[in-house]
Amino acid sequence: MTLPASRELPVCNCPLVDSETGSLATVVAIECGEREACRLRALGVYEGAQVSVIGKRHCLLVDVGGTRLALGADLAGGITVRPQGRVAS
Amino acid sequence: MSSTAVSERHTATEPLRVAIIGNPNTGKTTLFNALTGLRQRVGNFAGVTVERVEGGYKMPDGRRIAVLDLPGSYSLSAGSPDEQIALEVLLGRDQAHWRPHVVLVVVDASHLERNLFLASQVCELGLPVVIALNQVDAAAEKGITVDVPALIHEIGVPIVPTVASRGEGVEPLKRAIVTAASLPAPERRFALDHDILAALAPLQVQLEADGFSSSAAAMESLRLLGVSSKEAHLSHVADLPRHLEGARDALRALGLTPQRVEAEARYGWISGVVARTMTRRERSLDTYSDRLDAVALHRLGGPILFVVVMALVFQAVFSWATPLQDLIEVSIASIGRAVGGLLPEGDLRSLVVDGVFAGVGSVLVFLPQIAFLFAFIGVLEQSGYMARAAFLMDRLMRRVGLHGKSFIPMLSGYACAVPGIMATRTIEDPKDRLATIMVVPLMSCSARLPVYTLLIATFVPALPLMPGLDLQGATMLAMYLLGTVTALAVAAVFRATLLRGPVRPMILELPPYRMPAIRSLAISVWQRCQLFLRRAGTVILSLSIILWALATYPHTTPDASLAPAQQQEQQLANSALGRFGHAIEPVVRPLGYDWKIGVSIVASFAAREVFVSTMGTIYGVGGEDDAALRDRLRAETRESGAPAYTPLIAVGLMVFYVYALMCMSTIAVTVREAGGGRLGWQWAGVQFGYMLALAYGAAWLVVVVGRAMGFAT
Repeated sequence: MTLPASRELPVCNCPLVDSETGSLATVVAIECGEREACRLRALGVYEGAQVSVIGKRHCLLVDVGGTRLALGADLAGGITVRPQGRVAS
Repeated sequence: MSSTAVSERHTATEPLRVAIIGNPNTGKTTLFNALTGLRQRVGNFAGVTVERVEGGYKMPDGRRIAVLDLPGSYSLSAGSPDEQIALEVLLGRDQAHWRPHVVLVVVDASHLERNLFLASQVCELGLPVVIALNQVDAAAEKGITVDVPALIHEIGVPIVPTVASRGEGVEPLKRAIVTAASLPAPERRFALDHDILAALAPLQVQLEADGFSSSAAAMESLRLLGVSSKEAHLSHVADLPRHLEGARDALRALGLTPQRVEAEARYGWISGVVARTMTRRERSLDTYSDRLDAVALHRLGGPILFVVVMALVFQAVFSWATPLQDLIEVSIASIGRAVGGLLPEGDLRSLVVDGVFAGVGSVLVFLPQIAFLFAFIGVLEQSGYMARAAFLMDRLMRRVGLHGKSFIPMLSGYACAVPGIMATRTIEDPKDRLATIMVVPLMSCSARLPVYTLLIATFVPALPLMPGLDLQGATMLAMYLLGTVTALAVAAVFRATLLRGPVRPMILELPPYRMPAIRSLAISVWQRCQLFLRRAGTVILSLSIILWALATYPHTTPDASLAPAQQQEQQLANSALGRFGHAIEPVVRPLGYDWKIGVSIVASFAAREVFVSTMGTIYGVGGEDDAALRDRLRAETRESGAPAYTPLIAVGLMVFYVYALMCMSTIAVTVREAGGGRLGWQWAGVQFGYMLALAYGAAWLVVVVGRAMGFAT
């Protein structure tokens, strides 16, 4: 197995906050306050959902099923995802 | 209790009750407005200040339909007081006992998956359901088509495609609602594992014993697995925490995470439904909304655009409204004169002209500004920009311990603190909410505007500073900034002391940009204007009459040797109002005010606008035009002969008005919204106290510093 090139996405699970802009990923686990977890699931961010990162500011901008969400960086740190490649633009 | 929780059949004599629920940004309120038009009543849900908008319409056969617009909710698991209310109404546990016969769920066709989560919960409540598949036009533009007959088959409820902003599909929807009333309630369309059902059974039995229908109990037992906070409507369910923890333990024993069970079950079913009923053309992420967001959320461009938008709103509110205000002012003055001319000289004429027309008229003038401000806030909200503004402000807000969402109530506070405080209901965290409630009244509301306008126009020269801005404009801007900056600082203090705690992480939907629906917007603005007019017709009218009476009685026999103005002065000084003013003069003396300002301040503790009308009443020049009052104030002298009002005193007075909480309505809203009862009064007391201390202290400081700098007082 060769080391991934620097621009290549990691294949192991990682926090959503570390995903690159334009990457597509599947939510594996949500670890945050129960109230936030409940809200996230109602918004379509549940274990198994596909999310893509569309921008990074002081918050993370993500797309979930066509819905744009702004998620605080601390919150996005508690969401573990499995990278699925990049979104075709 | 149990009788309210079972589905009640609708009888022909009473109106058919329909509750509308849907995710935020689905066009729910626009659809409500399209259904009911102007036949609406705005009130509050019992006990809380969540706005309750009820309306109605008639079918061609004369049947009456009553419609209740429930707050926008992402799910039935209450994160905010808003969603709690929606759930209580749907379960028939709302204190007003308004249980709907039919639930209308508004589903955004572009975001079917997320919207069906709430819809599937509502379908298990044991009530007939109709779905309005809204904004099908916007979905079609995005290449999304929904096979409606197939979706009806999957969900098992009537579904009507609509475009609420254009009124399309509204008539078929009305027919579907009537038909649905006689249809059986839908049932859960997905099966849970036998093991999961067994784990939930004891909890479900307990809920049924408490009066929930078996369907609603099944929905609740599944939903509660992911809910950590206590919900008021379940507070009397015996042993709920024990049964809930029992169910969670049983699920953990199966190797499951209890909090995930509902989302996985519902979305598992929903993704199948969506795959079978929805087709979408190859989708690129780069929609027009994204292209707009590239600017609106740009690191540099975003804040610049934000400032430009805010400046535009204020410029518009303050300059576009002027011609309308002039028109109202002139009309009221001429009506007042005409009516006064019909009455014989004496107390009655004085009451009508100086009391009623002068008092209420000076406040009605602000109707255009209020309408403009609410129209702009409505446009910002409906267009989707408000969420971007909250996103941009989140960084700043977080620094003072608030959430980005606190920005919206604070912005509304520029119009009026009452809707501002009500807008805090979308903030989930109670401490965030309270801190926001505490500072919203520091935002300079439209009621302060008459005070600022009068004082600036009278005492601040229109010295040009730079193109488009003179000293008068800059003074006005400074007052708004002073309030805003102080609000942020005070919020930081509250979050570090009484309301200490972590700031909740940001979760914010950025809805697609959309053209505002003009008709719906107009209805909302009209509602606001009605509330304002009602206030002008009640609180302000009665205060005006009381003040007039206090300034008129007891009568003094005028000293005929004095000039008419001095005779009037003598009358005022000896009236009940004058005596009271002299009694309180020592309190306002350190601020450089005389007893007349003192009286006006005291009178305006009920509502700030009353300051101007009181000055008008005291000087007997209200109802004519502002210029008369301005001239009178400039000419006013003290006993020593020095001018009673100087620019320094005017600035001090404005600063006092920036800070002081002088509004009965705000106090009432704070009491209810901060928890009601004793707790609510305590918070309202804290709010009133700190603002009064701030007002007095700052006004005093202005005068002391000003004097030291050589300005005259």
